Amino acid sequence: MKVERNDPRKLVVESEDCVFYFSKPFDVPVYVEHGIDMGIAGSDVVEERGCDLFIPLELPFGRCRLSVIAPRERVVPVESMEGYRVGTKYPGIASRFFSSRNVDVEIIRLNGSVELAPIAGIADVLVDIVDTGRTLAANDLVEVEKVVDVSALLLVNRIAQKVKFDRINEIIHEIKRVTENV
Amino acid sequence: MSKDLFSQSLRLSYISRVLREIFNLWNYSEIFLPTVESFDESLRDGLKMIYNDRVYLMKPDITSQLLFNLKVPSRHRFFYISEVLRGSISGRWQAGVEFIGGESPHLYVEVLSILLTILDVLNLNEVFVDLGSLKLWEDAVKDIKEYASVVFEALRKRNFGMIEELPIDHDKKDELWELFNFRGRKGPYEKLNEVLEALDDKRVFIDLGTIRFYPYYDDLIFEVYSPKLGRPIGGGGEYRVGAMKACGFALDLNALTQLVEPKFEDGRVKLSGNVASVYREARKFVLQGKGVIVDT
Repeated sequence: MKVERNDPRKLVVESEDCVFYFSKPFDVPVYVEHGIDMGIAGSDVVEERGCDLFIPLELPFGRCRLSVIAPRERVVPVESMEGYRVGTKYPGIASRFFSSRNVDVEIIRLNGSVELAPIAGIADVLVDIVDTGRTLAANDLVEVEKVVDVSALLLVNRIAQKVKFDRINEIIHEIKRVTENV
Repeated sequence: MSKDLFSQSLRLSYISRVLREIFNLWNYSEIFLPTVESFDESLRDGLKMIYNDRVYLMKPDITSQLLFNLKVPSRHRFFYISEVLRGSISGRWQAGVEFIGGESPHLYVEVLSILLTILDVLNLNEVFVDLGSLKLWEDAVKDIKEYASVVFEALRKRNFGMIEELPIDHDKKDELWELFNFRGRKGPYEKLNEVLEALDDKRVFIDLGTIRFYPYYDDLIFEVYSPKLGRPIGGGGEYRVGAMKACGFALDLNALTQLVEPKFEDGRVKLSGNVASVYREARKFVLQGKGVIVDT
């Protein structure tokens, strides 16, 4: 199946018997939970959104990690972050992480360019995606501790799995076959 | 407050009235449970609150609340219509039944028959019920106990890859694969076959990949869904109250309002006239069990 999206502003593309919806990555699990048959999103987003859906495959791309990040000159262990303000796009994951370590922090929800928060002084540390580390280095930030590994996931709506059982299994097997050797 | 509160309320009112009639016809009595319970680990969902330095739970899951309150197991047929909170302040309205103390297979067939009656009366032809079994899965992982949690997590995610990665032999994986993907009308578990046969309804399937993760469920579980909605409309299952078998289900009334078109024409007598005579006449009709609409 070939999906051509010539205009990036176009949010809906049809191909063969499928319709593809191009939503914001953070919204993919929500769309799938509420009725879109299948989707692909990062495990970070799926965990943060806490949606009720099936995850039949982990996909071999989008691998990175969600970590606690601090300005280079203020690096301390997580246990010493009591009372810190934590800037993040992932308030749920961050909150659970610090709670699991019995460290009481204030979570500040941000929507993008979170690296700005410690520079602007509105957060002491961050919880955010670390991939190559180049963005961190460019902003004089350091990864303190990994919170969780992240990878892309194939998501399936719970009801679609039942009512389109054969078609969805066929697509899952085909994606699995194609990605197995990646 | 929801911006659509009043129209949503009309729909909920219509559905709950129909459901109450059906539950009464099946000889189930309505149970009114407290809004707030002292916090207890056995209570599911609800909203935690602290009052006078003590922890309470507001509007928890009804089945767990019923079990919490039913100190002495005895035979009951209950129904309820109530709001349930799931860790947040916005609730969902639920209606359901609990049959405590029945015998197999009558217990399951009765509860599922009530559910099918509701679908019939509300004209929900495109709603289906999948039956599954927890015991079948517990038996299947008995000889690989150390991996049981992985198998159940794989089921929850519907990710067979997690099972494929386990260091267990291929025959076991094949057996789990068969269960994982079984969907039909006659399966490997006689108990489910018997229930399905007794119900004899095209809307009911056996789907062994269907699992509901509530700690009180014992074996038979079921899920109610419509292709028109992306989320289950409801579900239920079998549990135990002491030595007694029990079975129940809950329907998400907010979800049902998206599928059901209320019918408000119900043969009421329309009355008008001067205030004294019209209300005297109205009272006579109501005493005779006839509905009235007084045009004011």
